[in-house]
Amino acid sequence: MKITRVLMFAVLAAYLLWVVYPMVWVAYSSLKDDEAIFREAFALPAWDGLRTENYARAWKEARFGEYIFNSVWITAVSVSLIVLLGAMAAYALARFYHPLGRGVFWLFLSGLMIPVQLSIVPLFFELKALGLLNSRLGLILVYTANGLPFAIFILAGFFKSLPRSLYEAAVVDGCSEASAFWRVMLPLARPGLVTVAIFQFIGVWKEYFFAFMLTSGEAGEAVRTLPLGLANLSITSQYRSDYGMLFAGLVIVTVPILVVFVALQKQLVKGVTAGALKG
Amino acid sequence: MATVTLSRLVKRYPDKTGGGVTVVQGIDLEIRDREFMVLVGPSGCGKSTTLRMVAGLEEISGGTILIDGRVVNDVPPKDRDIAMVFQNYALYPHMSVYENMAFGLRLRKFPQDEIDRRVREASAMLGLDPYLERKPKALSGGQRQRVAVGRAIVRKPKVFLFDEPLSNLDAKMRVSTRAEIARLHARLAATMIYVTHDQVEAMTMGDRICVMKDGRIMQVDAPLGLYNHPDNVFVAGFIGSPSMNFFKGRLRKPAGPGPLLEFVEANDKAEPARFMLDARLSALGASHVDKDVIFGIRPEDVLDAGADSPTPPGRSIEVAVDVTEPMGAETYLYLNTGATSFIARVRPTDRFQPGQAVRVSFKMESAHLFDAVSEQVLR
Repeated sequence: MKITRVLMFAVLAAYLLWVVYPMVWVAYSSLKDDEAIFREAFALPAWDGLRTENYARAWKEARFGEYIFNSVWITAVSVSLIVLLGAMAAYALARFYHPLGRGVFWLFLSGLMIPVQLSIVPLFFELKALGLLNSRLGLILVYTANGLPFAIFILAGFFKSLPRSLYEAAVVDGCSEASAFWRVMLPLARPGLVTVAIFQFIGVWKEYFFAFMLTSGEAGEAVRTLPLGLANLSITSQYRSDYGMLFAGLVIVTVPILVVFVALQKQLVKGVTAGALKG
Repeated sequence: MATVTLSRLVKRYPDKTGGGVTVVQGIDLEIRDREFMVLVGPSGCGKSTTLRMVAGLEEISGGTILIDGRVVNDVPPKDRDIAMVFQNYALYPHMSVYENMAFGLRLRKFPQDEIDRRVREASAMLGLDPYLERKPKALSGGQRQRVAVGRAIVRKPKVFLFDEPLSNLDAKMRVSTRAEIARLHARLAATMIYVTHDQVEAMTMGDRICVMKDGRIMQVDAPLGLYNHPDNVFVAGFIGSPSMNFFKGRLRKPAGPGPLLEFVEANDKAEPARFMLDARLSALGASHVDKDVIFGIRPEDVLDAGADSPTPPGRSIEVAVDVTEPMGAETYLYLNTGATSFIARVRPTDRFQPGQAVRVSFKMESAHLFDAVSEQVLR
């Protein structure tokens, strides 16, 4: 019994190291200059030679300051729309009977099953026709549409699991359909909403494919997101060898995900295990 | 406060055949102002569906519902001025006890001081003061139940609806909450409709009881009225515990003078039990001579012919004791004639042993005769 416990901890500790060390390595390497990185790749940076200017350069030279604004703006609006519209659609599909309800639900689910890359050509021309290439709104719409199937899939299950009598109590208490949704059902689906928000936040924050395809040239420069900036940085650093700045950029991209995840992870676990336990 | 009138109320659910399943079959019922009306019946009898139609949670397939003289068929629940206590309490898990009770008032835009006054009043009445800031999950079943009641009473609705509110409580809690709800009714003087499958709850709480079966009303009466004067075999058997004993058999006019009839048990295994009826039952059964009838007698009206009273000849039968169940204050004897098993409720005694033969007689003043086909009481 004791041996297996020790073994279990050993395995988990090794796994933890495996996962966390690269991140830590990137974080402290971002404070070294190229020479130091190549001389002693795994050494900690020297106290007196901390290269904090890596960050300043990533922010200014590599335009991360502009990209982060685009990323935050696009991600915040997309995730809010996904959660809001997803919750409303899922509630309607889970709660009300309509002859076409199942069909609509499967239509949404098919969005999960079809690889998004397949749709890029028609999508490109559609956005072009609408004048939404190289615009934040265009990306927001694409991300929102792309995220809805997952949100509806998760949240419909959530709404189905809420006891019907809660809705009935709300209606008898004086709620209309809308206020029963906003004041009773939606707050109760919070773990599901958080689950959806986190997954979509991560997905949109690091999304590269659409951002790359739907923004181009000088016009696209103003709406580029962090993943594009990062890719740019990694390509140029192959020639110019500026790993310190690349690592700084990586940290700038990664930290928000870590912060959001740590802040909401309790809710996330609740959401993922919802329905598994009584209570 | 208000009367609630159901007239020719029908609930039909569509099914695949297209015909539909009718779970409430056109019932008429008037619940008087300030009355505590209990709807009782076995599961599937339509009692909960009826209550939910009054609440507005089920659509009405036919007939009308009037609350306080107003037809509410198409009125949404929030505008019916009703409050409901659900079987699983249905408290909002994300709100504190206080907010749960205040929710309905907030939706109706009551001023904050009025909300506060009413919630505090209800919580004092229900002993919830120490728990106002707690979430429902930090409460016991009995406390949740009281919050659900509190949420109903702060609204001061015209009609209170209870849908089996005690069935999730343990036996002890159920008895005390039963009394609490009865006290509440006396105090609020409100019209209440209470659904239960438990006839003991029905008997102890109701001003009147409506017994339902298969979507129909079998009888509506005060508790003792139902107990002493059941209209049919179903009500006779449903109300009372242990339930009424039934003997199937025929009425016979014995040779010789005299108006009295004799009951002869239907028994193809052994010599049938036979006994004389009294004058009242004989008169009631006059139209059913040589026809099949059911003789109904409550366990407490089965008398130990050896001890209780000397019985005139022909008035008692000999039966075998199957099992004795000493309950403390009384003893249940499981008896049988060879064809019919029945129960007697006798004074606590260990005079009886399983297998023993005993003579019993029946207290004819309290016995009932039913038509065997229609199962309606003869009167």
